[in-house]
Amino acid sequence: MAKIQAHYDGAVIGGGIAGMQAALDLAGQGFRVLLVEREPSIGGIMVGLNKVFPTLDCSSCICTPRMAEAAHHERIDLLTYTEVEEVRRTDGHFTLRLLKKPRYVVEEDCIGCGKCEQACDWFVPHEFDYGLGARKAIYIPHGNAIPQLPVLDPEHCMFDGACARVCPKNCIDFLQQPERLEVKAGSVIIATGLKLTPMEAKKEYGGGRYANVISPLLMERMQSSNGPTGHVMRPSDGRIPRSVAYVQCAGSRDRTIGVPYCSRVCCMYALKQAILIRQHHPGTEVTLYYMDIRAFGKGYEQFFRRALAEGVRVVKAKVGRITEEPDGDLVLRVELIDEGGRVAEIRHDLVVLSQGLIPAWRPVGIVPARLDEDGFFEVPEVTTRPANSSVDGIFVAGVATGPKDIPDSIVEAGAAAMEAAMYLDRISRVEAEEAAMSEVSND
Amino acid sequence: MTERRIQWQQDLKQFRERMGGISESKKAWAKRQKDILKAIRSALRGGPMTVPALAAATRLPARDVLWHVLALKRYGQVVETGLDGDYPKYGLKEGSHESPGGSGAGK
Ligand SMILES: Cc1cc2nc3c(=O)[nH]c(=O)nc-3n(C[C@H](O)[C@H](O)[C@H](O)COP(=O)(O)OP(=O)(O)OC[C@H]3O[C@@H](n4cnc5c(N)ncnc54)[C@H](O)[C@@H]3O)c2cc1C
Repeated sequence: MAKIQAHYDGAVIGGGIAGMQAALDLAGQGFRVLLVEREPSIGGIMVGLNKVFPTLDCSSCICTPRMAEAAHHERIDLLTYTEVEEVRRTDGHFTLRLLKKPRYVVEEDCIGCGKCEQACDWFVPHEFDYGLGARKAIYIPHGNAIPQLPVLDPEHCMFDGACARVCPKNCIDFLQQPERLEVKAGSVIIATGLKLTPMEAKKEYGGGRYANVISPLLMERMQSSNGPTGHVMRPSDGRIPRSVAYVQCAGSRDRTIGVPYCSRVCCMYALKQAILIRQHHPGTEVTLYYMDIRAFGKGYEQFFRRALAEGVRVVKAKVGRITEEPDGDLVLRVELIDEGGRVAEIRHDLVVLSQGLIPAWRPVGIVPARLDEDGFFEVPEVTTRPANSSVDGIFVAGVATGPKDIPDSIVEAGAAAMEAAMYLDRISRVEAEEAAMSEVSND
Repeated sequence: MTERRIQWQQDLKQFRERMGGISESKKAWAKRQKDILKAIRSALRGGPMTVPALAAATRLPARDVLWHVLALKRYGQVVETGLDGDYPKYGLKEGSHESPGGSGAGK
């Protein structure tokens, strides 16, 4: 474990692209920063993506250098696999109560050789690959993970000691306990990002029930060169699909599931994935069933045009229901808006639900900053100070304040770091003035 | 070295007790995994196969076969050998270890 100090200028909660950028921008101005991530690796959603719209650059190729920079920066200390239990304001600074979860591995001694993982006999569905790929009961989260340290999952451990037997550094520690830490920070930046609406949220689509109705994040992993499958394929039988459907707004702009807002990235990620499916499997048809295409960012409208030119079909339609055929195919009952509302039943062999974005963390009673009704952090002066929370000294960035893409998350992270720097400067000047005043009054 | 070895064995015992031992459902999960992997390996000894062919040969659901084949592939025990129509074919990697799960390098 990194040597943790008692006091930092800034604590950044969340080690996705926004949190890493905020930490780097604050540390780059000379401040000492603690970066806290609850997963075993930093990188957030981005490190698992295949390519990014609209450039189609390799996502992990952009993300991993930033992960390495954040982890090795001389003014950033990194705590992974750590939960934030409380952030409270205590005379002039914030106190964070943290819980470091046990990896059952002595971090200082482990060399990340992976021998424990190789020796373990038990395959477990891998969270990083959304269940389709496997990991072991002791595993290094993925090839780009930082830190490259294993975690033992007691729920699937068969207690056979295979990992400890082969560890060349004797660093498996079965008796490791959760560790409670308390640190102080002058300011806090929250960048805790997103999760997707549950697959089961819209029962009529069969998500979580039908094998070939999948999440867009699983599609990202299937399209990645380091993904579990090496091809886009149907989870039911391993067949490369010939007809893929995207159901847009399958978890956004929908009051019935409590997500009335637009998730802003779904149109673009669906178009991106569709282009890449067509490039890899030109014989595969891809159809997007959409309500509106929202291509708002730099180069996004051109990207939409490119998708059409590459043969991606877009159909303005409402998908009412999905049913499964005995061979795993799916029948979509759709209302075709451009055909006067005609109802049709259309068969596809793989369906991606463009799930909406919801906050990964809703720290009511844990952090003093207020949340909006939708669970994202409230930004009281959203037009003029988009990185300021409802509490002076707590700043917010990335999807923690609402759905957004990577470029906007990075810009907001820079803004949060700048606001934090100005806040720290203001506080230190006030403290200096108060000290001077009390000296004068003591004289 | 011997001393430390003994130490982890004692620790492991305590760990196992603390975690409530191995429940019946965990035992069943482990047995099923071993059985599926054994059936897949044994079918693949006859040469590379697609997932539906493997499912037919092992009488296991295709979905379970795929998941276990992908697990073996990730850990270097199975390789993709080409396509049969729209289905990738998988074969045993020569010289791969035969323990139930382990031995390939994880990516
Ligand atoms: C399928 C899909 C494809 C996408 N494709 C693109 C694309 O091509 N281009 C693009 O620009 N955008 C894309 N996006 C959007 C992109 O993923 C987000 O813009 C980006 O991930 C936001 O970064 P973030 O750091 O705010 O959040 P995240 O990536 O979610 O990172 C948040 C981090 O905080 C951690 N965390 C959460 N809670 C806590 C806690 N309590 N304590 C400590 N740590 C915590 C998480 O573990 C995570 O590491 C896509 C999104 C999806 C769903």
